[in-house]
Amino acid sequence: MNRTVLRHFRRLPLYATVLVVCGLVLFPIYWMLLTSIRPTKYTMTYPPAFWPEEVRWTAYLELFQTIPIGTWLRNTFLVSLGTTVVCLTLSILGAYALSSFRWRGRMLFGFALLGTQMLPEALLVIPIFIIFRQLGLIDTLQGLVSVDAAFVVPIGVWILKGFFDTIPTEVAEAALVDGCSRMGVLWRIVLPLSLPALVAVAVVAFFEGWNEYMFASTFITTNTLKVATVGLATFIGELATPVELVLGAATVFTIAPVIFYLIMQRYIISGLTGGAVKG
Amino acid sequence: MATGVQPLKTGADAPSHPSLTPYWLAAPVAAYIGLILLYPIGQGIYTSFTQTELLSGVPPRFVGLANYQRMFADVAFWRAVVTTIVYTVLVVTTVMGTALLTALLMNNRFRGRTLARGIITLPWAFPEVAAVLIWTWIFSQQFGVLNVFARWLLPIPENIGWLTDPNLAMFSLVFMTIWKLFPFYSLVLLTALQAVEQELYEAAKIDGAGPLASFRHITLPGISPTLGMMTLLITIWSFRRFTSIFLLTGGGPASATETLVIRVYNTAFRFYDLSYGATLGAAGLVLALVITLLYFWGQRRWNPEAL
Repeated sequence: MNRTVLRHFRRLPLYATVLVVCGLVLFPIYWMLLTSIRPTKYTMTYPPAFWPEEVRWTAYLELFQTIPIGTWLRNTFLVSLGTTVVCLTLSILGAYALSSFRWRGRMLFGFALLGTQMLPEALLVIPIFIIFRQLGLIDTLQGLVSVDAAFVVPIGVWILKGFFDTIPTEVAEAALVDGCSRMGVLWRIVLPLSLPALVAVAVVAFFEGWNEYMFASTFITTNTLKVATVGLATFIGELATPVELVLGAATVFTIAPVIFYLIMQRYIISGLTGGAVKG
Repeated sequence: MATGVQPLKTGADAPSHPSLTPYWLAAPVAAYIGLILLYPIGQGIYTSFTQTELLSGVPPRFVGLANYQRMFADVAFWRAVVTTIVYTVLVVTTVMGTALLTALLMNNRFRGRTLARGIITLPWAFPEVAAVLIWTWIFSQQFGVLNVFARWLLPIPENIGWLTDPNLAMFSLVFMTIWKLFPFYSLVLLTALQAVEQELYEAAKIDGAGPLASFRHITLPGISPTLGMMTLLITIWSFRRFTSIFLLTGGGPASATETLVIRVYNTAFRFYDLSYGATLGAAGLVLALVITLLYFWGQRRWNPEAL
């Protein structure tokens, strides 16, 4: 009895440190929620209190009436979904080519993909604009999907390749001997075994679509096609809209990815690191 | 060689006739990346050798190296290069430091570890735009809560303009960036830490090694491939980070946070100087390339077996 108490006592610094770190990380999130539910007059004072003097949930109803956030979120969701589908399809093909075949140009292909991570979007935005105008993709959500997917496909290929590499050769060989085709091996063996990595890639792609700002702000001009990042960014530094509505909108925008992350956390961790860490 | 677990690539393919399958598989990816990233980047680099008007409709005129001559004489360009390097070094060191410390902390076994890990990694799932909205309020000179904390801890007579003071804006930007970025790297490092063999620590303990010695001789070598790869990624990603800087400070105040990428954007879209913007962008690309090559060169030198 005494010994367990002592053991817990020794661990006190550890628990205290964990608590402090969690507190520091959570504080900005708490502050966002707090600001979104208290009336403006309490936010626009100094020093602000650390707890709500008065809770006003109706701000959340009000923001759906004053800010077209429903439309924004629908567009953002469509872009994210499209980005995820395109990215997963292409990444699977590319990763399988890199992982289970030896071919001339393999190294070049791999390094070229890695190299795309260095390309600054600011340099790309004008040439892509010109090409997309010719293709009729400007001011469309499909255009945003195309460009967002291009930036995450290389990451997707590398995550999946790392995971595919860990699948024992014997499994694939046995299937080949049994008359399974190479694509059959991919479909029936490699993919079912790579579920965590597929989830990880899906989440990375979904987040890219959800978060992308630069291309969305330069390519989309029609109001009904505006995505949430562009819409929310117009509130930065302006004071005409009440703060609680702005941060309420930010909260609504944040809920989906956070819940998505918390549910998928286990998969994401093993998927992201399953292959990469052994490097 | 034939026993045990082997990666697919070593065994499955030793065909006497080369198969076309990998080319069919890689072709869609190559075509897609080629059309949307590589072709435009070529266009962008070509633009840097021309005089292109965005609005007037006059066709582009080839001007050779004129834009580059202008760039080398441009004080604003060099300041942006320095700002980029300062920003990158600050972000890489503070984020990787925070990530490593928190990963070491989470590597202890304790009750509620899964919950704590979930909380600590939460900012990773936060959209950048939402993060900027929150932090703009926290940093606010008039009503911001950061000033409350600052005035508790430091003898400051009046509220600080975290984003409006040119000497502090970079600090504030990096501060927000640490919060947003460290969770991802912490998560990856934690997994690397857990993959280090426990027997090594036991053996070191028996040999009388202290915690610092085991960290240096067991932990660090064990995680160094991951640490190296993550450092490279955060470096090149910091080089091209746009959204959070653009929305938090726009490069200001007085260009204090104007990295090269922000300068490219401002040159092209605020001053409508397309070809010069492309020139600055090309210079940024070269800089990122040099850093990556240095990384691989260094890795080969210190750790020849890594690649």
